[in-house]
Amino acid sequence: MKILIVDDDLHIQRLYKEEFEDEGYEVVVASNGQEAMEMFDKENPDIVTLDILLPDVDGIRILRQMKEKNPKVPVIMSTAYDYRDDFAVWASEAYIVKSSDLEELKSMIKKLVVK
Amino acid sequence: MDIADREKFTEVLFENIRDGILILDRNYRIMAVNNAIQKWIERPAADLMDKDCVEVFHDKNWVCPHCAAKVTFETGDVNIVTQKITHNESTRYAEISAYPIQDSVGVVIECVVFIQDITDRMLCHDEVLKLYNEVALTKDYLEGIIENSADAIVSSDLNGIITSWNSGAERIYGFTKEEAMGKFLPFVPDFLIDPEWENNKRIITGEVLKRIETFRKRKDGSIISISLTLSPIKNTVGDVIGISGISRDISEKKNVEKELVRRNQELSRLFFISSAMRGTLDLDRLLRMVLTAVTMGDGLGFNRAILFFVDEDRNVLRGAMGVGPASHEEAFHIWDRLSLEKKTLPDIMQDIEIGPLRKDSFFDRLSMGIEIPLTEKTIITKAVNEKKLFNIDDVEKEPLSDTVLIQQLGTQAYAAVPLISRNKVLGVLWVDNYFNRRPVTEEDMRFLTAFSNHVASAIENARLFERVKFAEQELENIFESISDMVYFVGRDYVVKNINKAVSNRLGKPPKDIIGKKCYEVFHGTKQPLSECPHQKTVEKREAFVEEVEDSYLGGTFITSSSPIFDISGEFIGTVNVVSDITELKNLRERVIKTDRMAALGEVAARVAHEIRNPLVSLGGFARRLEKKLDGNLKEYADIIAKEVGRLEGILNEILSFVKETRINKEIVSSNNIIDEVISLIWSEIDDRGIVLVKEYSEPIELFVDPNRIKDALLNILTNAVQAVGSNGTISVKTYFRNGACIFEIKDTGPGIAEEDLTYIFDPFFTTKKSGTGLGLTITHRIIEEHDGSIEVESKPGAGSTFRVLIPLQKRSDT
Repeated sequence: MKILIVDDDLHIQRLYKEEFEDEGYEVVVASNGQEAMEMFDKENPDIVTLDILLPDVDGIRILRQMKEKNPKVPVIMSTAYDYRDDFAVWASEAYIVKSSDLEELKSMIKKLVVK
Repeated sequence: MDIADREKFTEVLFENIRDGILILDRNYRIMAVNNAIQKWIERPAADLMDKDCVEVFHDKNWVCPHCAAKVTFETGDVNIVTQKITHNESTRYAEISAYPIQDSVGVVIECVVFIQDITDRMLCHDEVLKLYNEVALTKDYLEGIIENSADAIVSSDLNGIITSWNSGAERIYGFTKEEAMGKFLPFVPDFLIDPEWENNKRIITGEVLKRIETFRKRKDGSIISISLTLSPIKNTVGDVIGISGISRDISEKKNVEKELVRRNQELSRLFFISSAMRGTLDLDRLLRMVLTAVTMGDGLGFNRAILFFVDEDRNVLRGAMGVGPASHEEAFHIWDRLSLEKKTLPDIMQDIEIGPLRKDSFFDRLSMGIEIPLTEKTIITKAVNEKKLFNIDDVEKEPLSDTVLIQQLGTQAYAAVPLISRNKVLGVLWVDNYFNRRPVTEEDMRFLTAFSNHVASAIENARLFERVKFAEQELENIFESISDMVYFVGRDYVVKNINKAVSNRLGKPPKDIIGKKCYEVFHGTKQPLSECPHQKTVEKREAFVEEVEDSYLGGTFITSSSPIFDISGEFIGTVNVVSDITELKNLRERVIKTDRMAALGEVAARVAHEIRNPLVSLGGFARRLEKKLDGNLKEYADIIAKEVGRLEGILNEILSFVKETRINKEIVSSNNIIDEVISLIWSEIDDRGIVLVKEYSEPIELFVDPNRIKDALLNILTNAVQAVGSNGTISVKTYFRNGACIFEIKDTGPGIAEEDLTYIFDPFFTTKKSGTGLGLTITHRIIEEHDGSIEVESKPGAGSTFRVLIPLQKRSDT
């Protein structure tokens, strides 16, 4: 199982990577939109966590590009700000507000990759 | 009768006859005489017997019986002579008749002479003669008059057969006397035969018809107008035996009269239109009326008319309106019938508005498209620039003819009159007779000029009026739409005029306010207030501004009062502007709050990104540390992780407060909502041993976002639980009042200090040791979003009561 973590915050990248590797996932990371798309093409991840606020491109656009390339890969939108009301119109499988407690994110991933 | 009797009879007769009688023999000896002879001679009759008649009578100024007898003796015939006797200055006439008496062989032997006094008869005869002469003279005179009269004098019998015909009749009717005499009324046109008989019947009854105006036919068939007097001709016993008629040819007079009538009508139409024009200040309608007057048959009667206006900004002459038929067909079928005759003003208005004269006719649209630069040198621009009128009878002979008009309107001849008001040319009135080709006469031009003067001033008036009306309307609009109360008060404290805001504020229609004393209306007092700015203005004649707190109107107001003076400078009252600063205060507070929120929103967004990420790493790594460490260090890491979690919680609360959220409304029951809220916090209520009293009305259907309302109520209930602590009571009520559903949550807690009461809904205001101070603020916001409100009653030591009022709405009001 391969997870692609897209986040411009390097500490969060590392935190997620270590946590998920502990959980037994293979983890690849990207710090901006361009990298994210390169990794998505190259690594063929099974699941993506995608930050909305990226330094180069809007996360929503990356989401759309990923869905155009391969709609079967689930994408979890992970944000610092509560966009819950807007989530419904996005084509992502899940949405989460970032938290230091990763339990909710972990169970979400588990659910999505089993499918 | 025997001979003796006969002699006796003769004697009596002889003596009793009133005529004198003499019997003479051939020697004129008087053989017999009667007493009546004494009338003629101053001698007794007896004296005359056997006397010579010549001796007795001749040459003595007496009658001469012998002179009469002489002829009879000579001729043997009866001889009668008349003699005039003048005696003693009196004149008498005698008729002397000599009758022959013959013997058996026929020789006249004697003569009987009768002398009859015919004085009376003779005098009478003289008189008759004199009269006859006079009558003859009069007859000649009358005949002369009749014959030489310029009038036709004609008589007829009762059957209408002409019995006399004078030379005047010959001249007027064209028939000679010979042609007319004996004919049946040759000069009466067929169509008048019946009425003529009616006239004759009246004459036969003796009536005289004076100066009736009728028609006669001349020999050549032409019809002439005459004035006729008909009288009966009567015989000596007064029977009507004929009819005389005196007639005069009045055709000429009639024509003059007709012309006068026509002109008069024309003038009255123009006057009518002109009055109508003065009556309307609606410019568009006025212009249409003007063109109507110009084109209507009994107006100026032109075929087509266009009004051009000077557009000063663009220096062009622009067609503003045109009236006229579009085609020959229209001209003859519709236009001809157009007339002001027997029409009322509304009828004409209707014609102007929806008839063939209506706006937006073909010709109107054509006219409005025409534009002529005033810099061009043409007839119509000359009319403007030189203030002159032009009558172009042939466009081909006039080098300055307007080619635009010739090409677009096909005109061959036209006239252009400048419309001048106050020495300024407003435009040009253009006319032509395109359809009937009638030349425009000098008289037409005179009329047009006079008319255009009226028109120009009417247009000027209408324009001024429009401007004034517009300004007035604008003022009125401003006056009415000012949200502050504005009103005029006279020196006598009587309210003269108010705007809508006054009426709205006082909750009374204007009629209940205007005309009343201002202090009664605005303060409910019988006397002016001492602090009243109006009163001060009345006293000092200058503007005053006061802040007035008025319990009658319920609020604090800034009132400005300024004096108004009329044209002559006399103070007539004040204009007052009153602003409710209670509202203003609210507004200001609202603005501040909104500003604060906006600032907070921005901060929150930044916080979300700048704070959350470090918190996530901080907390996340602390959790990882906690898993890998033992003892105290594990505990420290746990503390860090937990504190970060608390910080994240606060962050979420703040963010949810500043974030715009969508409302998803649905129909829910009031009691279900509050019950769900209670269930969320029930374990805490139960743990603390708080007594909960529920008092619900019948369920009320609400159209709200249930999650949001639950959040709002939960915040209040949580506060109540925390305030009560333990061993207290919380009562929850639902009920319906004034179109709103009310949730009432009452606690027996310590209550809220009076100084805190105004701040409880402010963000970050809290009396609790741990709290964001956003709970009630969020509640307040949610209730506001539902157009509801919150009431708080609280006193320190007496607990608090919160009432949430949710108005019942229709489902479409989302």
